[in-house]
Amino acid sequence: MSKRRISTESLAIPMSSMIDVTFLLLIYFIITQREEIPEAHLAVNLPSPNQAPQKTDEKPNLLEIEVHPGQVYLKKMPQTMDQLQDMLTKMAAYDAEQTVIVKTSVQAQTQELVRVLDLCKGLGLTKLNVMTLK
Amino acid sequence: MRARDDAPLETPVTSMIDIVFQLIIFFVVTAAIDKDVIDESIRLAQAKYVTAEEKTDPRAVLVNVGEDGGVNIALQPLNLLQLQQILTATRTQSGNSVPIVIRADGTAIYRYVDGVMQAVGKSGMYRVKLSAVATGGGKSAKR
Repeated sequence: MSKRRISTESLAIPMSSMIDVTFLLLIYFIITQREEIPEAHLAVNLPSPNQAPQKTDEKPNLLEIEVHPGQVYLKKMPQTMDQLQDMLTKMAAYDAEQTVIVKTSVQAQTQELVRVLDLCKGLGLTKLNVMTLK
Repeated sequence: MRARDDAPLETPVTSMIDIVFQLIIFFVVTAAIDKDVIDESIRLAQAKYVTAEEKTDPRAVLVNVGEDGGVNIALQPLNLLQLQQILTATRTQSGNSVPIVIRADGTAIYRYVDGVMQAVGKSGMYRVKLSAVATGGGKSAKR
């Protein structure tokens, strides 16, 4: 009479290796997780090559701001950022549709230009043009 | 006589595995694989009044400008001529309305940004955006 061999192996699923892999994955994702920095994009106008300049007899309402290293000028008058904010608030209240030309010195830092553009946007002035002072 | 405790001495791993899997699923879902390659060395200027972009145009070309004027796209260093060629190729492929986002270091002088803007202009593109870190959450600048 033949005797059937009974398997003595455990029927439990081997969890140890799966837990190892799972933890490795978890650690990988935790390490590679990067903090999201909220980025804003300030639109700047450049002349479109397809768009012909509009010819009008009417003189456009222009607001000229000059950005020099460490100094900002509004209509050729030096201003602190607070003064500029006050002046622009009044001007934006009068006409928010006016075109703003920000002339920037090549030596000025980018953050100085961004500060002015940000202020203009914050006041509702959206027609922003950037020119370069050579 | 003391009653013997017949409960097994194994650590209950089932609930722990549940939590670990939940965490993994969270990280897999939130990890954006197709995210643009961001130059981490660039410290953007801060903007107090504008709001952060909820969605960026997927066609947008991100041009990084370092503090020393080094220009790169997806960490690939370029000179201005190469940049212009890439932008011209982009224009031919996708049209001239593709936004060009300039991620310039806040302390970089404007000359470098101007060089990039000129390359953009020469390539026939016109939608230029300057990137900044939105710190104020879109509050008004009005006084």
